[in-house]
Amino acid sequence: MRADIAVIDLRLRRRALLSYVIGMVLYALVIVVLYPQFKDDTSLDQLTKNASGVAALFGATGSLTSPSGWLDANIYENFLPLIMLLITVGYGASCIAGQDEDGTLSLATILPVSRRTVVLQKVGALSLQALLLAIATMLCVLIGRQFDLSFPVTHLAGLSLGVALLGIDFGLCAVAVGSITGSRGTALGVTAALAATSYLVSSLAPVIGWIRPARYASLFYWSVGNQQLANGLSLASVGVLIFVGVLLTLTAVAGFRRLDLR
Amino acid sequence: MTVVVSAEKLTKTFGSHRGIVGVDFKVAEGEIFGFLGPNGAGKSTTIRLLTGLSHATSGAAKVLGLDPIADAVEIHRRVGYLPGELALYPRLTGRQHVEFAAKVRRLQDRIFLAELVERFRVDLERPTRTLSKGNRQKIGILLAVMHRPELVILDEPTSGLDPLMQDEFERLMRELVSTGATVFLSSHELDEVQRVATRVAIIKDGHVVVTDTVEALRRQAPRTIEFAFPRTVDPKPFASIEGVQVVAANGKHITLALRGAVAPVLRVAAELDPLEVVARPADLDELFLTYYRDQSVDESVDAR
Repeated sequence: MRADIAVIDLRLRRRALLSYVIGMVLYALVIVVLYPQFKDDTSLDQLTKNASGVAALFGATGSLTSPSGWLDANIYENFLPLIMLLITVGYGASCIAGQDEDGTLSLATILPVSRRTVVLQKVGALSLQALLLAIATMLCVLIGRQFDLSFPVTHLAGLSLGVALLGIDFGLCAVAVGSITGSRGTALGVTAALAATSYLVSSLAPVIGWIRPARYASLFYWSVGNQQLANGLSLASVGVLIFVGVLLTLTAVAGFRRLDLR
Repeated sequence: MTVVVSAEKLTKTFGSHRGIVGVDFKVAEGEIFGFLGPNGAGKSTTIRLLTGLSHATSGAAKVLGLDPIADAVEIHRRVGYLPGELALYPRLTGRQHVEFAAKVRRLQDRIFLAELVERFRVDLERPTRTLSKGNRQKIGILLAVMHRPELVILDEPTSGLDPLMQDEFERLMRELVSTGATVFLSSHELDEVQRVATRVAIIKDGHVVVTDTVEALRRQAPRTIEFAFPRTVDPKPFASIEGVQVVAANGKHITLALRGAVAPVLRVAAELDPLEVVARPADLDELFLTYYRDQSVDESVDAR
């Protein structure tokens, strides 16, 4: 299958994507370079002592001065997922619903390609964007090994996959909502609300007992919120994230087949 | 006759809003079929159903003998479409648009494409956001016909084109038909359609009100007679004549559309001492306008 529709979408997103990736890369480099200055700062660990809810809200639990704690609290549990979702949810909401609203979707849908193919190519473009950000960030974090940040590379690779799958899943959620409703605003709104809830549940689960059982419903928990850098990304996590992605893709295809286009 | 496009009781509603209702027509192979109607009549809605972009509420449509939804890929391979409100990727050039479509269509023969670029003097090198409406429309024309489709569906194709390019486009349509293609031409431009179309359907308020050949319509088209009088006259006596419709009544000037004999009109007019009379031959525009407009003129005349 040719990927012309994915290629043209990536071309349209090129500038925004590069800006996000460069910004994230610079931020990640600053974080890893700063680590030697903070690794012995015990006052930082006071923030998360006694299961601080405020620290948890910012995605910080456990030790902040350990390599995995430093990277989780500064990159993988908050800032990187945020940038990831800005890219993937933004694209997910625009690639079907947004393009239909501005009329350009018919440039592709009037060509001899099925609607299923259109969706699958957009899923491909979405996945590439997520992987690009995750890999670029991972490469920067790997440089951190020169700055006293020690961690298993396989765990970092697993976490990077997790954060990419997290972005892909929420991006697919926006694609699916956009394909069903044809509204970019609805796709953005619904997905943003779901992502925020998912983040809160995963972040607060370690410190608030009654939220703890709900963490299994949070994609953040399965991807970045369960100390994946220290423990590795489990196969169960990969399975859940891929299963959700497949489900959302099927929903998007079904919705798009029924959608009346401009 | 081989039917290329057919619509049977084709209906599309948008919630409580009317789209099109019970639309029926057939388009024969090798003809230019005009689809006429004022803005908002349902032309673009009908076209979106034919191209599989939208789903019918009820009724059926066939394009090249295929179902627009189930067989959309095959139809899109064999059909060219120029949308009424053409939207292009603003940051991409015309060439990037054309390359994209050519790759997806696996277009091997680029000779016709090159000819079209030259004929329409298409600017392919600038981002489309910097192009005028007419120059963007030319890119839309390329995208619609570059693959020599069996059927070309055009929604307001000459919108934004200058008169020279409009002429060139009309020549292109005739050439396409001469090579066996069929053209479905939707427009609100009466002149354009009557110049090139062999048959037309007129759609108004979501309903097809007439489908016939241009020649047959021309035969039943009304003649126009304009009178100028030295004083304000009452148009009622004209309105009561059989076959006469008062198109405009503006004090001392009266314009009539006439389908029957002219003598009764002249007799009524003679009693009012007309200063001037201008008679025009059967005018297709006038026929279309009688379908387009509501009865407000007559009603306002009656109300005086």
